Amino acid sequence: MKKLMLSAVIAATLGAQPALAQELQVGVQNMNNYLDPGSDHSNAGSQFYYNSFDTLIDRDHAGSGDFVPGLATSWEIITPQMIEFTLRDNVQFHDGSRMTAEDVVFSLNRMFSPTYPPYLVRKRDRLDNFTRAEATKEGKVRVYTARPEPIFETLLSMQQTMIVPKDYLMGLSGHPQVDEVSDYEAFGLAPVGTGPYRITEFVPGERLVYERFGDFWGKAAPYERVTMRRIPETVSRITALRSGEVDLITNLAPDQLSLIDKEPSLKTAGSVTPLFHVMIMNENHPELKDPRIRRALSLAIDRDLLNKGLWLGMAEVPSTHTMPEFGELYMPELETFRYDPEEAKRLLKEAGYDGAEITYDTASAYYTNGLLAAQAIMEMWNAVGVNGTINVIESSTTCDPKLMTRNWSNPMYFADPFGSFGVMWGPGGPSESCGRFNTDEAYLDSWDRFRFSETVEVRRTAYAELMAHIERNPPVLPLYRPYEAWGMRADMDWKPLPSHIPYVLDFRAGRVTPASN
Amino acid sequence: MNTSTAAQAMPQSWLAALWKDADMLVRFALIAGLVLVGATLLAPWLSPFGPDQQSLLSRLRPPYGFEGAVAGHWLGTDELGRDILSRVLHALRVTLGIGLAGAFIGMMLGTALGILAGLRGGRLDDLIAGAIDIQIAVPFTLIALLAVAILGGDLVVLIAVLGVAGWETFARVVRGEVMKLRHQPFIEAAHVAGASRWRIAFRHLLPSLVSPLVVMFALSFSQIVLLESTLSFLGLGIRPPTASLGSMIGQGRDYMPSAPWLVIVPSLLILLLTLVVQLLGDFLRDRADIRLQHR
Repeated sequence: MKKLMLSAVIAATLGAQPALAQELQVGVQNMNNYLDPGSDHSNAGSQFYYNSFDTLIDRDHAGSGDFVPGLATSWEIITPQMIEFTLRDNVQFHDGSRMTAEDVVFSLNRMFSPTYPPYLVRKRDRLDNFTRAEATKEGKVRVYTARPEPIFETLLSMQQTMIVPKDYLMGLSGHPQVDEVSDYEAFGLAPVGTGPYRITEFVPGERLVYERFGDFWGKAAPYERVTMRRIPETVSRITALRSGEVDLITNLAPDQLSLIDKEPSLKTAGSVTPLFHVMIMNENHPELKDPRIRRALSLAIDRDLLNKGLWLGMAEVPSTHTMPEFGELYMPELETFRYDPEEAKRLLKEAGYDGAEITYDTASAYYTNGLLAAQAIMEMWNAVGVNGTINVIESSTTCDPKLMTRNWSNPMYFADPFGSFGVMWGPGGPSESCGRFNTDEAYLDSWDRFRFSETVEVRRTAYAELMAHIERNPPVLPLYRPYEAWGMRADMDWKPLPSHIPYVLDFRAGRVTPASN
Repeated sequence: MNTSTAAQAMPQSWLAALWKDADMLVRFALIAGLVLVGATLLAPWLSPFGPDQQSLLSRLRPPYGFEGAVAGHWLGTDELGRDILSRVLHALRVTLGIGLAGAFIGMMLGTALGILAGLRGGRLDDLIAGAIDIQIAVPFTLIALLAVAILGGDLVVLIAVLGVAGWETFARVVRGEVMKLRHQPFIEAAHVAGASRWRIAFRHLLPSLVSPLVVMFALSFSQIVLLESTLSFLGLGIRPPTASLGSMIGQGRDYMPSAPWLVIVPSLLILLLTLVVQLLGDFLRDRADIRLQHR
């Protein structure tokens, strides 16, 4: 009898193990105060949406990275200005409602014709060509553009076009049949999508809990529960990982990797991220109006030294705003940015720089090595005679008219120069909207050919013209493509996937192998 | 003995008497204190490198004697390849300066308000006593965090904010002492002789307050050093690249497991600094307190 009971206990214990293994604890450096895939384009937010939301067109992230059906089972570009989607049947939102063409049309039109102010910038910076979405009698959805759109699939697989439930969102506050600003704000605190994990708890800026969504249309999520907890200090994240408090941590600098790799029960995974850490300069600040001052600030920075010193040579320093992921539009032959302290000194003298204080804003811990790079840059500026000071500030100052310079990032939102440089520095984009970057007629002419031409050579030529403008009158200096790394238990398997935008924590089926216990 | 001989003899005898009265611990504090003050004053000459001078290719090198150490960097280098020894010497200056300035502001403010409340009484006393109670009830770290977050981590702002810390301790003790003393015969005699309130305050009351003020100054100095360290640790103190001992700990915390010297060196200095000030404060209080001297 005793043996039987013992066997039963052992069997029960063993039986319980898979359930335990289905929990994942993640320590993240950053977490936003809201979760709205439409308005958010931050690196912090990008981590979380893909687990809970879907787009019409997805990518084969575990394989080739090619476009694959998402919430649409198929699509067809009917004319250069219209694409038609056949929607997947039996898709449910996390609130239990069934996805309809009406939800899809609502989700897309909320971005194409925004009434919620935060969507306006996203509309202008990447979806400006889109005019409307509408449902056909057959239950299909058609999306229209103002001009022929050469990259329909790319743009309609972006995070900003993820599908949300119309009735749920509009019913969150006020009139249930009207999408009010307060509805969108409420949605950011209680988001609902169609993805494999539903969000069951969200404490803004602190904690996010996902649970497996049993009615997901695709392959079931591997984890029953995933908890993301913000641990801003690197050392605290590492300690949490080493003590077993969490299974995976984000944002490790290269000089911290050996601490984790030397422990047999832990490991790291990392890659050069498709994103630039950049320095931005406010063209319209009185002290920086003269482009020679901004060129000097840029020329004074030894980016190779930053890479060797802070990133142990693992980051990549670009000669221009380009990445190999751009394919035919990858243009490393351009030399837009370089290090030339003597030329910097000459330009400062020529511009009559009088030693005025030039501030460089940075958060203390948002970008990996961000504060260290800021201090190193101040030393480099000092060497050419620039009176630079660091302003450590946790809030974003990218739209503050008093901003002089600061660190920022230019992620690759999709694999095209438009998806990285274009989103940030296009007409009407966040830089121009915030009043720290100006476009003129020549720039707009080059932009138009770059954005809408269907000929690669024309686009390349136009992009080179844009880079020449940036060189002459710089608002930005890409510092490097950082090497970002994640630490985790040795018995689980996860790595960042190159077809995602930077920082996505993809825990869908086939993208992660859970630990055995 | 002529005047000049007396002037030479006095400091010698004062120092000799001080040294004679001190026990081993206080003697240690005296020596350590002199070394710290000396190091602070001579920091620009003692530092082998500039405090902000970076060497990105020599980052996180350990102190002399450990594997990987770089010649010339006796206490190692930090996350930007800056020399830790040079940095702590300059950081000590900043921390000591902030501590002294902050404690002095607190003492002046608290003493003035305490004397005012104790002498004037009435509504003014109620008002000051109420302000003291409020400040005691609210944790000052929170107030300081809020003030520095709003006004910024400028050195002047930081000193002003930290100066306000602890004024209530001075004010409470001084007010109590003044209320006790104002009915003493020597004060009443001064009144009868026609002395003004200010004369009574400065000539008759202040000398009796020296002993508690010295102790409170020492306590306040230590608290301010720790508070500044807390604010700097939280990233709200001195702006980089300027270093204080607290900011060095704050910036070094991410490297604690891999480069612990970044945190150990400034932490030991904070410990030593506050210990020295506390020991000397206690000692000076004992010497200044007439009642203790007659026991």
